[in-house]
Amino acid sequence: MARLGTDKFVVEREKEVATRLSPGVFPAGRQSEWSAQNRTLTHSVHPLTNSVALGVAGKLPRELLKTDVRVYEQDQRVYVCGLGTMPDERLPFVNDTHAVFAAIQSIMDARGDHVGVDALLRMSALYREAMLRQVRVLQDARDSEFVRSENDVFQAMHAVWHLLEIVYVTTNAGLSASVVPYYMEWLNFNFPAPAAADGERILGSSPDANALAQNSDVWPYVQKLALRGHVTTVANMLERIAPAQALSAAASRWARELAQTARDMPLGSSDETSGSFNGRWRRWNSGLQSMATNMGSMLDKADDAALSALLCVVDVMRGDADTISRVGETWQDVLGAVLLYSEPTAQTERLPALAQLVLEQFEADDFTLVDRTLAALVRHELPEFLVYCNQIDAWLSAHVSDLMEHIGILDSCRRVFKVEPREHYLVALGERYLTHEGLWRVAMDYFGLCRTRVSQSIMGEYIVRMPLESDRKAQQVLRVCERYKLTEASERVHRQLGRQKWQRGRLGAAIAHFVRVNDSSAVGQICDQLWAEYLASGLLTYGPIIDSVLASSGHDRVRFLTQYRDFHECYKAGEFARAGKLLLSILVGEIAPIHAVPDLLVDSIPLLEGDALVFGADDTLELMRCAESIVFVGGEEGGVERDELSIFSVACARNLARSYVMQ
Amino acid sequence: MNSLQVQPVARKITGIRWLPPRAGNAYTDTDLYFVSGSSAKHKELVLWTTANPDFQQTNDDNNNVDAETSSPLATLVAKVKHDGDVHDIAAPASDIVATASSFGTISIYNIGHTDSGDSSLSLREAVTAHKFANGEPAVATSLSVQPTNSADAEIASCGEDGRIAYAPISRLDALQRHEVDSTVITGVCWPMPTQLAIATRAGQVKLFDRRAPAEVQAVFVDPSNTYEFECIAAHPSQSFRLATGTDTGAVLLWDIRNPKKPTMEAFNVHESNVWSVGFHSSDAAKIVSCSEDASLAVTQWVSDSDRQSRGVRHLSGFFNTLSVNCFDVCPFTRTSIIIAGSDSGNLLMEKTAASDFAIY
Repeated sequence: MARLGTDKFVVEREKEVATRLSPGVFPAGRQSEWSAQNRTLTHSVHPLTNSVALGVAGKLPRELLKTDVRVYEQDQRVYVCGLGTMPDERLPFVNDTHAVFAAIQSIMDARGDHVGVDALLRMSALYREAMLRQVRVLQDARDSEFVRSENDVFQAMHAVWHLLEIVYVTTNAGLSASVVPYYMEWLNFNFPAPAAADGERILGSSPDANALAQNSDVWPYVQKLALRGHVTTVANMLERIAPAQALSAAASRWARELAQTARDMPLGSSDETSGSFNGRWRRWNSGLQSMATNMGSMLDKADDAALSALLCVVDVMRGDADTISRVGETWQDVLGAVLLYSEPTAQTERLPALAQLVLEQFEADDFTLVDRTLAALVRHELPEFLVYCNQIDAWLSAHVSDLMEHIGILDSCRRVFKVEPREHYLVALGERYLTHEGLWRVAMDYFGLCRTRVSQSIMGEYIVRMPLESDRKAQQVLRVCERYKLTEASERVHRQLGRQKWQRGRLGAAIAHFVRVNDSSAVGQICDQLWAEYLASGLLTYGPIIDSVLASSGHDRVRFLTQYRDFHECYKAGEFARAGKLLLSILVGEIAPIHAVPDLLVDSIPLLEGDALVFGADDTLELMRCAESIVFVGGEEGGVERDELSIFSVACARNLARSYVMQ
Repeated sequence: MNSLQVQPVARKITGIRWLPPRAGNAYTDTDLYFVSGSSAKHKELVLWTTANPDFQQTNDDNNNVDAETSSPLATLVAKVKHDGDVHDIAAPASDIVATASSFGTISIYNIGHTDSGDSSLSLREAVTAHKFANGEPAVATSLSVQPTNSADAEIASCGEDGRIAYAPISRLDALQRHEVDSTVITGVCWPMPTQLAIATRAGQVKLFDRRAPAEVQAVFVDPSNTYEFECIAAHPSQSFRLATGTDTGAVLLWDIRNPKKPTMEAFNVHESNVWSVGFHSSDAAKIVSCSEDASLAVTQWVSDSDRQSRGVRHLSGFFNTLSVNCFDVCPFTRTSIIIAGSDSGNLLMEKTAASDFAIY
């Protein structure tokens, strides 16, 4: 059996994929001409999906060329190639198995160490149902190469999964359950033989027992039935053949006896002890042995084709290894018959040894990928098994390694692989899902439920590159960050949203996002923009914008704008005293930006000059102190506003005088 | 948790709406129609048909069919490509649907039924209703049809640009736009034919008079909580009752009879964003909501007199793990049917027989 080298466990080369660009970039065969005209291809890989954008580019910039090159239509095309994308037909399968996967993780979380095998068995059965559903859907679909290859993949996955379930889950219950009935069930479900069509054909072409006995296909058919353990059908066939004239009396007699023996084959039942079952089985087996001896001695005396065919059937059913190897076509057949007829109570531990014996008789190079996978599984060579699973399909290796982790058998693989196998395969599957737009959330769940540091950081990188096309999508992305505790990613998303809204002119929403991440410089810049708009237009329209920002933001500039707006409202409503207090609190609290203070002082002039006394002596002195502090800041600005400042100073002086008189 | 029936359709469904019965208002149609809209990779509008459960025979042979050959919930009848993701659908008549798209356009589609049983969907006209100040298209987040019986009913839409737009369904080019909010408007509804209500991401519910839509008539906010609203719905008959869904999973029921002091009650029925909310069409004492936590909830609220009959029923499906984006309750049947669409690419359905009606 060819063994894989260790280096293959460490690194796997993805299959190379080649695509032809069509319509082509240059006429066929003229590549050197094209290339000589300063042309080459440039590319860019999409950050999330496996797609590449390609376009024609020049080796040297056009400006540096001595003669100008004509630009053709092909030069202006951009090609987008998807590599290894997820086909739409798999969507229902992907979504259903995602639900099962998530359910398994939550079951394992809830129960911890006391996991019931039944729960895992149920989930495993759900996976298989999903695969079978997909197979049915594919059978209804129109035939094409894609459909056929998908069909093969899913049938292979089902066979592999089913055997995995039998070997590790069903018989794991700790009871001394025999693996043999499950193995036969698996064999007959996934690799049905002989074909029912053959049986119908044989019976259909042979109207009576004579014709049946003389049909050359009938004995191989009966032998194959016996190999697969379909004893009732064997008995039925023999009883139909027995009355044939073409058979010798001996053959006819033996046929009837064999039919009866076949019907008597002992089947285990759950309430029978293994001791009693073994007894019955040994008696049945010894009956077959004596039948074989008698028939053999009869054949020594006279040649009888029918009798020798019957002997073959008897040999199969008594567990004769040589006959079984001769009749069986695949190693699964042979292993099944060996188990059924020589060790019917064999347990899972016997499988590797028996399988080794059987497999040695077959040529390993002829094995298909599925054969190799199943052989590795039966021989309990789990690392090899996982690698082969990955070659069948990425889905299979990811979910198999997950199941193996939950059963507790993945440790043997850990010693062999350089990377953590479950994480490696789950992340690979998640990345595969990311190539499909509609599966991003499923991919995130696979990354998240993997629960390792590496998968967490990979998830963090991918989530911040998610395109945020709509508000709802942004909310969903933020929910994912919350669920999997990606705080840094969440902040980056908020920043991205803030910038996006800022560019679009939605300043209130932008402020809200920046406040969430405590980016005070960005908030400050937006507030300055609002202030500048107010100054430019003269209308205070930013009120509703500010209102919508979280009231508890506590950012200086936001408070400044809010209080300034309140000041404006009070002024308009005629509540001058309150307006004055607000203005003063802005100046005293020093929450206004430096460039806004002169405007605030100018705003105070009408209040100073007004009929009622708004500012008391102390207040007026405060105002004058503010004025003085800004005069000493910046040369140019002080100069420009000297006129207004002088008016302000006069107003202050007059108000000061008034206040002394009135108080 | 009650379970929903699930049909995988390989499309992310983001909008769904029942169509009024074809034969006027008579409830004699044996088939019901609904339209679903999908987003992401395949942006389409699909017309589906499903059997009317009011007409199912009581001695159903279907009950004995094994699970593998169970009939699908709904059958595809027609589909058409849609420009942009479908964010909301409205069905003003049995042959017209209006959609709100991610490019900010309101589109009207005609549904044609031929005598041979074929049906088709075709675009009639589209108008761009929502744009940002820098020219980029803004997502139109929700649509609502004015609840009048006049032929010139209007359709109102709201978008991420903070504007509401409305136009008469028959003359979309007569569209009017008004900027009314500085954050994203997530839902719009008509409590009365002359009144619009919107819900914003800043946690405000604003009322507008249709005749003066640029001015805000009233603003309602819950100052004790920082909610972000995702959707809004109006009670079918009591125009002072509104329901809004929040981003943390609460459904709020507002009573705005006294505009200065609105009362609000919160039902914490979900664990994540409530994408859509509505009063049940045959029993307005129930509020139905769907959420990012992959479930639908039917909440029984009643006015203060009878507190005992309150309760919540959750609906979900095992094979549906992703967000339920949208739902609609069929207002034309006695059996209550709720259909919903989810991100898992599933169509979900729940039928419950009407609890009290006279058999005739």
